[in-house]
Amino acid sequence: MLLTHLERVLNYWPMLLRGVGTTVGISLASLLIGVALGFAFGIIRTGSNRWLSRALGLYIDIFRGTPFLVQLFMVFFILPSFGLELSAFTAGVVAMSNMAACFIGEIVASGIRAVPAGQTEAAMATGMSRAQQLRLVILPQAVRIVTPALVGQFVLLIKDSSVVSAIGLFDLTRSGWIIVQNVPNGLIVFGLVGLCYLVICYPLIFSARRMERRAQAPVL
Amino acid sequence: MIEFSGVNKWFGALHVLCDIDLAVTRGEVVVVCGPSGSGKSTLIRCVNGLEPYQKGRLMVDGIHVGQEPRRMRELRMEVGFVFQSFNLYPHKTALENVTLAPIHVRGMSRVAAAERGRALLERVGLGDRMGSYPHQLSGGQQQRVAIARALCMQPKVMLFDEPTSALDPEMVKEVLDVIISLAGEGMTMMVVTHEMGFARSVADRVVFMDQGSIIETATPESFFTNPQSERGRDFLGKVLQH
Repeated sequence: MLLTHLERVLNYWPMLLRGVGTTVGISLASLLIGVALGFAFGIIRTGSNRWLSRALGLYIDIFRGTPFLVQLFMVFFILPSFGLELSAFTAGVVAMSNMAACFIGEIVASGIRAVPAGQTEAAMATGMSRAQQLRLVILPQAVRIVTPALVGQFVLLIKDSSVVSAIGLFDLTRSGWIIVQNVPNGLIVFGLVGLCYLVICYPLIFSARRMERRAQAPVL
Repeated sequence: MIEFSGVNKWFGALHVLCDIDLAVTRGEVVVVCGPSGSGKSTLIRCVNGLEPYQKGRLMVDGIHVGQEPRRMRELRMEVGFVFQSFNLYPHKTALENVTLAPIHVRGMSRVAAAERGRALLERVGLGDRMGSYPHQLSGGQQQRVAIARALCMQPKVMLFDEPTSALDPEMVKEVLDVIISLAGEGMTMMVVTHEMGFARSVADRVVFMDQGSIIETATPESFFTNPQSERGRDFLGKVLQH
């Protein structure tokens, strides 16, 4: 019984593969946009413009403090009433990149704050502009400090992407829903779906652990 | 070169610099001493704009510090600063620490910057440690790299903020020797230090501060043998008794 079910589920491999493709695609796109935007957020959060920093802090808190599903619905169902019609994929990428940027922004900001003030002073004392101080001195050190936390965030992002199935995107979770309607064995179907997520995430988890171990070594 | 006229600074209610008047001419070596908390470090940190001041006028190399924000970078390129805690970039080698600003701020070619950087590291006795990272160097070696880093910008003025206070006693001399050789070449310098023997041998003038004010300014000879102020005598009595 179990074996025949497994065999039947495995016959749906093209569907599962399509789901993996969507999940990886949407995660990767949101990750790239989220990192770029997140660094900008982190820099503004720690910048000298206090009002801009506070306004951004409020924005970040709003998205860190509300469920991702609600944010996704806002983008997909409510933006169109303001004349902004997005495809399900685009809406997914927009909502996910935005949320990723908010979390990554706070992580990057904490990294920048963790670099000793003497580093900024030393860079400033040699005549570097604020942009040069960040690029040459502060960010390279901040990134080393927060890399384990960032990778952890990437893993969360990939797993959170399962929520996009709610707006009809054919991701890995959605492919499970469809398969289970044909092969009524949730244990096998969602066991397999879970395994696929694990396979996607595990390289990241593994490398995060290695980096964490290296970060504990005295070498900066 | 450096001219304080009636400079005042407050940290909240705390008056940390009171009516500072002081002129440092080209090629002069001025040692600033005084008890901790007297405002010595704040004084030299004002010179390159690391600390703002609220009242008075501070001119450095023709630039009105604090009033011309756009020219502060220009000023800092001409004023080298050496910190008590070195503040080397931990992710860069000794040579990279030295050449970073010349390449990116002065726009020197990498080859020319590396050549100058190597010559300076040789000069401070670190010719064999160019590829080392700061954590692989002793405190004295790190401070010598920091001096080379400041010199590589070819500044007109060098400021030293307690350059030997964070060092083990046996490393103090190697750092002071570098500063003494700079003085011998006619570099304009302001040095905050507790090393009285060094102050005596290298300074053209000694500035003694207490509670944010300059109490007296004198040649080292007259300050160390015959301080004019009560507080100066008191201070020397405490630092020279051992």
